[in-house]
Amino acid sequence: MEEIFVPALGMAMDSVVLLEWTKQPGDQVNAGESIAVIETDKTTLDLTAETSGVLGKHRYQVNDEVPAGNTIAVVLAPGEVE
Amino acid sequence: MSTLDKEKSLAALRQMMVIRDFEETADKLCLRGKVPGGMHNSSGQEAAAVGVMSALAPDDVIATTHRSHHHTLAKGFTPKSVMAELFAKSTGVSGGRGGSMHLAGVERGHFGGNGIVGAGVGIAMGAALGIQVLKDKKVSVGFVGDGGMNTGRTWEAINMAVIYKLPFIIICDNNQYAVETFVGRVTGGGDLAKRASGFGLPSFNINGQDVEEVYKYTAEARERALAGEGPTFINAVTYRYYGHNVGEKGQYRTQEEIAEWRTSKDPIDYFTGVVLERKFATQQEIDDMRASVRTEIDEAVAFAESSPEPAISTITQGVDSGKLGIQL
Ligand SMILES: Cc1ncc(C[n+]2csc(CCOP(=O)(O)OP(=O)(O)O)c2C)c(N)n1
Ligand SMILES: [Mg+2]
Repeated sequence: MEEIFVPALGMAMDSVVLLEWTKQPGDQVNAGESIAVIETDKTTLDLTAETSGVLGKHRYQVNDEVPAGNTIAVVLAPGEVE
Repeated sequence: MSTLDKEKSLAALRQMMVIRDFEETADKLCLRGKVPGGMHNSSGQEAAAVGVMSALAPDDVIATTHRSHHHTLAKGFTPKSVMAELFAKSTGVSGGRGGSMHLAGVERGHFGGNGIVGAGVGIAMGAALGIQVLKDKKVSVGFVGDGGMNTGRTWEAINMAVIYKLPFIIICDNNQYAVETFVGRVTGGGDLAKRASGFGLPSFNINGQDVEEVYKYTAEARERALAGEGPTFINAVTYRYYGHNVGEKGQYRTQEEIAEWRTSKDPIDYFTGVVLERKFATQQEIDDMRASVRTEIDEAVAFAESSPEPAISTITQGVDSGKLGIQL
């Protein structure tokens, strides 16, 4: 199971805004693919998966503010459950 | 003095493993927002730090740079107390006031990391002057990055150490990049030891991936310093495996270059081979060592997580020497 989380980048990044989900729960995800788009105080960026699998639940909704470090979803390997 | 005996070799190998595991663990926690202010990962640079410290006595002084976890751990500070400082907790080496870039312990000869490129050399040179004035039998070591070799304050300090014959060793922790700038592109004359020798001190370019080579050059420099023969400059060529700071998405070097250093020049792999060849340990003992390091770093994280933040009531402490009676 891979946790997709908001990385704490820069000196004082507290939270980001979730702009868009690019994958839905149950979707097949390939390593390197975007899961969601977030907006930091400086830029927008894609959160990508490092592993392949199936996307679990969306833990936040579009426009939610997400604290840096928090997990927004998991990518499940075959046989894994959330 | 040219090789490490069995006891020192095993200690050096374990210390390098501690640094690697510490850094890789802290890097992940930093991305999770656990390290206020971020951090600079020293993975890949273990031998240059541990080789130097293996040649020093506990009383010897160091001052370092913004990338200083490896120096601090190698100087003998526990992973618990360093991790707690990264987390800005009261149990950290600097009481949670310094964070990753200000690890220090003056009473134990650690005059700190700092965020000003090149400043560690000046601070350590001042300590060397103090040692000379007080006629102490110890030396001071100043660490500087390759980027810091192109800043004036570094050379002002080196010049002063030469003219006063200070008990001083300058170590260039040369990981070959200053953020995204490759050292080869910005080194006039192309040879740092040659540049330093123009200031009139013994100067060497050495393999910073070989802990024993670093130990040997540092031990010889220390002997000269204690004999009143003045400072030495050592350019220890090494490599950092991760970005300049945690979370950096670097575009300035190839994955192949990183892979080559990681697979064929790794300081821990190399010295593990030496230890096995000299029969200082069996493969099983090496595996056990790695497992015990893993446990130690896990414990350091748990300690940092569960430690309290500095109390607000202590906020005015450490602002001045405490001797001036200033009321804030
Ligand atoms: C005087 C000064 N100039 C610039 C900076 C910004 N800065 C921080 S780290 C760095 C690069 C340092 O490179 P190097 O000395 O090679 O150390 P490394 O990061 O590789 O350990 C720079 C330019 C600074 N902190 N201080
Ligand atoms: Mg550098």
